[in-house]
Amino acid sequence: MIELNELTDAAQKAFPAGSLSPSRDESWGLAAEMGWLMVRLPEEDGGLGFTREASTALHLEMGRVLAAMPLISAQLGLQAIAASHDFAERTDWLERLAGGEYAPLPMLSSKLTQGSDGTVSGTISGVFEGDMAVAVVAQLPGGYALVPLDAPGVSLVERPIWDPSRRLFDVVLDGFTPALMLTDAAGAKALHDRLSGEAQLALAADCIGAAGAALDMTIEYMKVRRQFDRPIALFQALKHRAADMKTRIVVAEALLWKRVRDESASVTELAAAKVLAAEAFRFVTEEMVQLHGGIGLTDEHPCHLFLKRALLNLQLCGNADLWNERVGRQALQT
Amino acid sequence: MAAPQGAHYGKVARNEDILRVWGIIPQNPSLLFPISPQRPAAVWTPRHPIGTDKDMTNDLEALQREVRSFLAAEAPTGWRDASRTQDDFVRTQRDWFGKLVRAGYAIPHWPAEYPGGGRSLAEQKVIYEELAGADCPRLLLSFVSTYHAFATLHECGNAEQKARYLPKILEGETWCQGFSEPGAGSDLAAIKTRAELQSRPDGDVYVINGQKVWSTMAQFADKCLLLARTSSDGVKQAGITYLLMDMKAPGVTVRPIHQIQGDEEFAEIFLDNVEIPASERVGEEGKGWAVAQATLASERGLTLMELSYRMRGALGRVAKLIRDHGHTEDRGVLRDFGVLVTQVDAVCAIADQFLDNRINGIERMGDASIVKNAYSRALRAYSALGLRLGGMDEQYVAPITFGDLNTGNWMADFMNSYAWTIAGGSEEVQRGIIAERMLDMPREPKGWVL
Repeated sequence: MIELNELTDAAQKAFPAGSLSPSRDESWGLAAEMGWLMVRLPEEDGGLGFTREASTALHLEMGRVLAAMPLISAQLGLQAIAASHDFAERTDWLERLAGGEYAPLPMLSSKLTQGSDGTVSGTISGVFEGDMAVAVVAQLPGGYALVPLDAPGVSLVERPIWDPSRRLFDVVLDGFTPALMLTDAAGAKALHDRLSGEAQLALAADCIGAAGAALDMTIEYMKVRRQFDRPIALFQALKHRAADMKTRIVVAEALLWKRVRDESASVTELAAAKVLAAEAFRFVTEEMVQLHGGIGLTDEHPCHLFLKRALLNLQLCGNADLWNERVGRQALQT
Repeated sequence: MAAPQGAHYGKVARNEDILRVWGIIPQNPSLLFPISPQRPAAVWTPRHPIGTDKDMTNDLEALQREVRSFLAAEAPTGWRDASRTQDDFVRTQRDWFGKLVRAGYAIPHWPAEYPGGGRSLAEQKVIYEELAGADCPRLLLSFVSTYHAFATLHECGNAEQKARYLPKILEGETWCQGFSEPGAGSDLAAIKTRAELQSRPDGDVYVINGQKVWSTMAQFADKCLLLARTSSDGVKQAGITYLLMDMKAPGVTVRPIHQIQGDEEFAEIFLDNVEIPASERVGEEGKGWAVAQATLASERGLTLMELSYRMRGALGRVAKLIRDHGHTEDRGVLRDFGVLVTQVDAVCAIADQFLDNRINGIERMGDASIVKNAYSRALRAYSALGLRLGGMDEQYVAPITFGDLNTGNWMADFMNSYAWTIAGGSEEVQRGIIAERMLDMPREPKGWVL
């Protein structure tokens, strides 16, 4: 078993801190080469069989460089297929995905209806880098299924988003006939909970990694930016804000690792870690723009990439209001 | 609507180049604080605490069972109701400390030659988790004795001082700390209390004049860890001497400080020609600042871990308010409660992580400051939500409970939460430590005068 820190070191070497938002396609090739798509796939399926600590460490690093490469969606799509032992083409698809094909899990909920003839119509939202995908893993009214993008009745529509570090697509179904069922309707709930919990941890890691990079960049800026004959890092009012940024990140990260290691944590508890991480990320990036002053408002400077990624992450897989309410409700019952 | 820009990954310039183009980094820089080409690894690397080995885990589980069975029989119940006055509080504290000493759980951090000592940090953590889980009274009255006085004497005291004082602590002798002064709070080295060495027929004494403040429960203390100034020459840290003072000595006057929530947790100590035998000095004259560091470093993390878990347990008090006031379907209230629950869970996680790192021998500058600020802010949020949900009911005076932070008297708890953002290094001091020691931000030049 590879040490977690080795994985982190390898990621930091492949994706150095200075190069933000690296080319998606080159990153994808690199990730496939290093086996990152397969980290969570059991060894008997040809994967690396790592724990969720390993994927968390990777997603942290991908957040740090604002990766566009859709590692989270890809790993979750792969896990969905791997968990579907009744799926006849399971082995074929696992092999195809191991070879670098992309079948993502969407990060937003779908609006779908099933016609009397069994065909499905509607919109599957939240498909990251959909132009790379051969299929998406979607929860259809009859259960989870693979939706090949070249199937009749399936079309892909880019939905331009403010976050320029990634691209998001809808998959529009119009009389689509599901053929590649992963679960039936009854089995969908269990798979959904499993994937949802994993998605929360992955997004939380993305937030923590990116927030740390945002803080580093802000501190560096404060050390070189001179006003009133001194670096602005010398002003106590600003130092204290930097300290609060650090505190928010470290505390959210501590909760993340605790929940990563807690195999019995509920989806709500995993989501709480994501909400705290995403809120910390948002706080840090708002401060980042403010503390950078004028240059933080320019499209040229990467500040806005962090801010926009934070605000998008907050909306993925359930927003803060939704999960905070559930956390409160759950705590009330115990 | 403005046209979204579309993805531009793979096209982002390096930060340094952008700053140079914009003239923020001068073309030919002679910078005071240059940009580091690569961030320091320590800031980034996520912590993956080394797993505990199997034998150790088994030992800890055995200890946990042992403490649990002791607490099942002996954990005090109803101690809150028995702590409505300061005197009753002191009595329950002394009883409970005595029981824990006899059971061997009062001083797990002491060396093995003392009964109940010689416990590893991991074992100490188990004991404190169990004490918090069973909602036992916190050991407040004996805290300075078993941590500050112990660490000072153990690390810096001479053999005679150790032999004289450490056993008495186990018999219930109580210590207080005479560090802060009206003019020396966050800037502790600025103390002005004087100690003057004078000859007496039966040996030299230090004659003390001055005033100490914010001394925790000094009104019940037998002895005091005292910092006093023997010299005003050189830097202010250099002239400080560390002394052990008898609180019954002539010239010592203690005045409890009435706090805003009705508690009297702290006191002022007035020192008027108090004589302390020179044999009661710890370390050399003028070297007291170094000794004081041993005092201040004596407790690192257990208290905040314990308090965090107690606050976690006390979330039930907020839940009860929500039910009692019929808010169980109020989504706004549920959200606010959810935010608090996550905040408290995260404080438990960071307090745990800090201790686990220490168990594995990892401690970095600023870690403790983060835990303290996270805890004290969560405590404020906890009591503020209780106060809000309690509404007007909380504005009528109700009895307070001494020695507890999460009592359900929400006004008292809310006001008491300020003790945690102010005492023990204020929130602002901690922020400075985080910024300067963790984030490596520049310190103000020495001798900065306004």
